[in-house]
Amino acid sequence: MAQEIIIEENYRMPAPVHVGDEKGSLTRVIQQLVFTVDHKKLGLMYIAAGLLFFVIAGLLAGLIRMQLAFPNNHFLPPDVYNQSFTMHGTTMIFLVGMPMAFGFANYLVPLMIGARDMAFPRLNAFGFWVFFFSGLLLYFSYVGAPGLYAAGSAPDVGWFAYSPLTTKAFSRGHSTDYWTLSLLLGGIGSVATALNILVTVFCMRCPGMTLGRLPIFVWCMVVLSFLVILALPCLSACQIMISLDRYLGAKFFDTQAGGDAVLWQHFFWIFGHPEVYILIMPAFAITSEVIPVFSRKPIFGYPVMVAAVVAIAFISLGVWAHHMFCVGMVSLANAFFVTSTLLVSIPTGIKIFNWLATMYGGKLRFELPLIFCIAFLFQFLIAGLTGVMLAVAPFDWQLSDSYFVVAHFHYILIGGLLFTIFAGIYYWYPKAFGKLPNHKLGLWHFWLFAIGFHITFLPQHFLGFLGMPRRIYTYQSDRGWDEMNLLSTIGVAIQSAGILFFVYNLIYSYFWGKKSGDDPWDAWTLEWATTSPPPEYNFAKLPLVKSRRPLWDAKHPEDPDWKHE
Amino acid sequence: MINPDSEDPKFVEIPEPTGWPIIAAFGLVLLFAGLVTSFFITFLGVLVCLAGFAGWFLDVFPHPKHYAVPLEEAPEPHTTARSIKYLKIGHLGHRMRLPVEVPPLMAGVKGGIVGAVAMAILACAWGFFKYGSIWYPVNLLSAAAVPSLAEASQAALSQFNLLGFIVAVISHGSVSIMIGLLYIVLLPMLPAKFEWFWGGIMTPLIWSGFLFATIRFINPALAVHVDWPWFIVCQVAFGMVCGFVVFKEEKVETMQSLTLAAKLGIEAPEENS
Amino acid sequence: MNSATTENPADWKLPSARKFGILTLILAESALFTIFVVAYLFYMGKSLNGPYPSEVLEFPLLGTLALFSSSGTIFMAERCLLAGNKPGFSLWWGITTALGIYFLYFTGAEWHHLIFEKNLLISTNTFGTTFYSLVGLHAFHVIVGVLLLLGILISSLRGRLHSDHTEHVEAISYYWHFVDCIWIVVLTVVYFLSVRVQP
Ligand code: HEM
Ligand SMILES: [Cu+2]
Repeated sequence: MAQEIIIEENYRMPAPVHVGDEKGSLTRVIQQLVFTVDHKKLGLMYIAAGLLFFVIAGLLAGLIRMQLAFPNNHFLPPDVYNQSFTMHGTTMIFLVGMPMAFGFANYLVPLMIGARDMAFPRLNAFGFWVFFFSGLLLYFSYVGAPGLYAAGSAPDVGWFAYSPLTTKAFSRGHSTDYWTLSLLLGGIGSVATALNILVTVFCMRCPGMTLGRLPIFVWCMVVLSFLVILALPCLSACQIMISLDRYLGAKFFDTQAGGDAVLWQHFFWIFGHPEVYILIMPAFAITSEVIPVFSRKPIFGYPVMVAAVVAIAFISLGVWAHHMFCVGMVSLANAFFVTSTLLVSIPTGIKIFNWLATMYGGKLRFELPLIFCIAFLFQFLIAGLTGVMLAVAPFDWQLSDSYFVVAHFHYILIGGLLFTIFAGIYYWYPKAFGKLPNHKLGLWHFWLFAIGFHITFLPQHFLGFLGMPRRIYTYQSDRGWDEMNLLSTIGVAIQSAGILFFVYNLIYSYFWGKKSGDDPWDAWTLEWATTSPPPEYNFAKLPLVKSRRPLWDAKHPEDPDWKHE
Repeated sequence: MINPDSEDPKFVEIPEPTGWPIIAAFGLVLLFAGLVTSFFITFLGVLVCLAGFAGWFLDVFPHPKHYAVPLEEAPEPHTTARSIKYLKIGHLGHRMRLPVEVPPLMAGVKGGIVGAVAMAILACAWGFFKYGSIWYPVNLLSAAAVPSLAEASQAALSQFNLLGFIVAVISHGSVSIMIGLLYIVLLPMLPAKFEWFWGGIMTPLIWSGFLFATIRFINPALAVHVDWPWFIVCQVAFGMVCGFVVFKEEKVETMQSLTLAAKLGIEAPEENS
Repeated sequence: MNSATTENPADWKLPSARKFGILTLILAESALFTIFVVAYLFYMGKSLNGPYPSEVLEFPLLGTLALFSSSGTIFMAERCLLAGNKPGFSLWWGITTALGIYFLYFTGAEWHHLIFEKNLLISTNTFGTTFYSLVGLHAFHVIVGVLLLLGILISSLRGRLHSDHTEHVEAISYYWHFVDCIWIVVLTVVYFLSVRVQP
């Protein structure tokens, strides 16, 4: 029986309704999160998971600082203290820093290059879940690892797990295995995601988006992904080697049987130093977007900025042994690594000057993102300077493994990375949720956090000069370290108050924030060309790009950029 | 900005949500977790992982699964008719101070040499009046590089020393020429009215301060014997003379205001009005 | 510099995502292998006790021949696919898979010999440690490669391989060539260099 098929003209496919899939129900939200392959959802999930781990690792840091607040303190048992700094460092680097970077990349790279999704959406979901589960596996050690003191002992060998601490003789039970295995697993996820980002950028750009027109954000993410691709496998190799040593009795790092403990240090830092530059890339990326938009000027020296990040990444592959000056290498090696490390400061300096030149003569709008980025400039400068000091071998012999090093890298990682992550969250919050973050709460957040941060970490430079080694459990009161340690702990409380304002702001603005409209900052990159929040498909029609500021061209048809570029 | 050639569909195809990647990831975790708990879990992990990858494979093979999402109205970028000014060299009022004209390179070399001579005369005069020998300051200067002079006695320092003389001439000459060259770059960027002050007094003072702080490491012998007031007088003499020579020279235009093509010599430079 | 105005979106060409992806993966794998090769070189000649490479290693002639010729056969398979010759493709692809499996069998036999007759275990000395880890890592990659080859072979025999799958096939062949190249490095380092180093 022939049946006439009528096609209604305005017919829209109804969304499929299954049980538990009713609009607005919690099960539906969970279902969407678990099954999604959408780069925007995954990006937000990365950032949310990063924030979750950030809070956990921050609490651990609070414990560490409380233990160190007073001399001869026994607030924590010694073994818990060792576990705390190990878990704090490992979490902050692998479960906060990298996921945050990937979160921003995931959310923004496809939007910025005018693509509908990542190149391999399913691989993207896989990468996220592998990372997330690896974090859970790491934390499961608190209950699951039979350690020296029976059940529940987290890894306690430090975030770089120097051999021979990790050999069977010194690390009984499975706590170290939890550390190696979860990082090995996390490495798989990171490589998958980095590969995805690279392929997306090189194979999915919208017409006209040449490499010379990519936003600097995207360039930084490309460089980051290359570093992940080159460095993370080295870490995986390290982890495979320790696992072979521990499970099958291999001799890689067994000094009794001809193995070499220093080899571990080389292998670890071949990964480790590129890793720290992986962590600073998001800071470069976000700053390079925020400063131009809030200074109302295009970025100063675009090609040089790109060349500088590429140069930084390239040089950073050859500086690893500056973490090992105290091991006693031959002079030639010392000289080489001193020189190569000092070289990094040239492109880094170029970047700082170019950001300043972008702001110079601009019409600054002191919105939250810009405020955080300005703080970043100051703090990154200080951190870079202490870095250059540590790069000089004789100086490092004196201060390596002291609180000076701790201060150096916290100025980088908090003063650099975390501040720009806050800037990025405030900048793109309207993009993701359609609401403006609250300015006043943001200012509270900024001042509390900035003041607390400097109170905590500035004194640590001087503690280092006074000879306080890192990772000590406690100290006597005749060393002159008491006041500064107490001050440092007080700073943590102030920072925590700042974080509370931040979290409250995120929730408050989501429900009661002002509607932002599609393009609240009057920005120039493609992610603002679509609605806020963007539809699942990002762009109804793929854009056509003619200059580095496509949205400027669209808004100013009478005077587009491509006439001048 | 919209790509005019792209089709105008009512639907967009996007990849279908799928649970297989999370299952594969979970299998992988079980596989690893088994190594720290019990191998039974590893075994389970292998199975789950294989199931996950197989399901994933069927998702994308032979063709990746898609579903259609209806398009909504896309926002139009709201255009604002606002013209902006592009900065040009020579425009008044903007905060940009690039030197448009600088003294030529040779002026720097000349200034450096003349300044060096003036400074040397003063220094030698000091040596002559105080220690009765014009070689005294020469030897002191070269003590940085000649170890025998660094340990020499007062009397030996007053003797002529050929090696010391050569080293002193080379080091004094090259540093002076370098500073002369710096002058042609630096001076035009400093506030225009007080050139004599910047070049003749401020720069020598800064330089003296720098040496004051570091001379102990560079040239310990000089640090012990030097007479700071005289030293500063010599520096100022250099600055005055060098600055004078540099400024007397006819200035040349920099290429700051030219386009890249003109800088490369491909095009003739535009006339600047 | 106004080339932008004349740009035509239709001329917009970008590299294929699959090929680019597999090349990136190869880059990552190279980094992984580099560390293991460096470890092997570092410990070469430093074992505290025997057995030493010169005493126990024999040149893996047949395995090497199998692996190297499989690079040729996979190339032939690709040519057939491009020419639309499906049976030819299945044949050459099948031969490639078989050669891969033979290589695995060969390695297994070699390891059996080393373990049970020469008493070389991964825990015996640093030679055993670095040898088994490096060769094992390579063998693991061959296993993954063989699984991929089998997947394509089965789809092809079931007639589900279409002309728009050439990119998948090419990507897998890149991977297979890479595994081959790694074998050249392993061969040089393990079977040429280290057997010439006196303990
Ligand atoms: C101007 C560039 C930099 C230089 C010259 C530099 C130099 C150094 C040196 C020499 C050390 C070793 C100190 C020691 O252990 O004795 C060090 C440690 C460290 N740096 Fe930097 N650094 C720079 C930038 C960065 C950046 C951008 C980051 C991260 C985003 C970073 C993160 C770290 C970390 C995490 C450590 C400590 C690792 C540890 O021992 O746990 N640094 N830096
Ligand atoms: Cu480093």
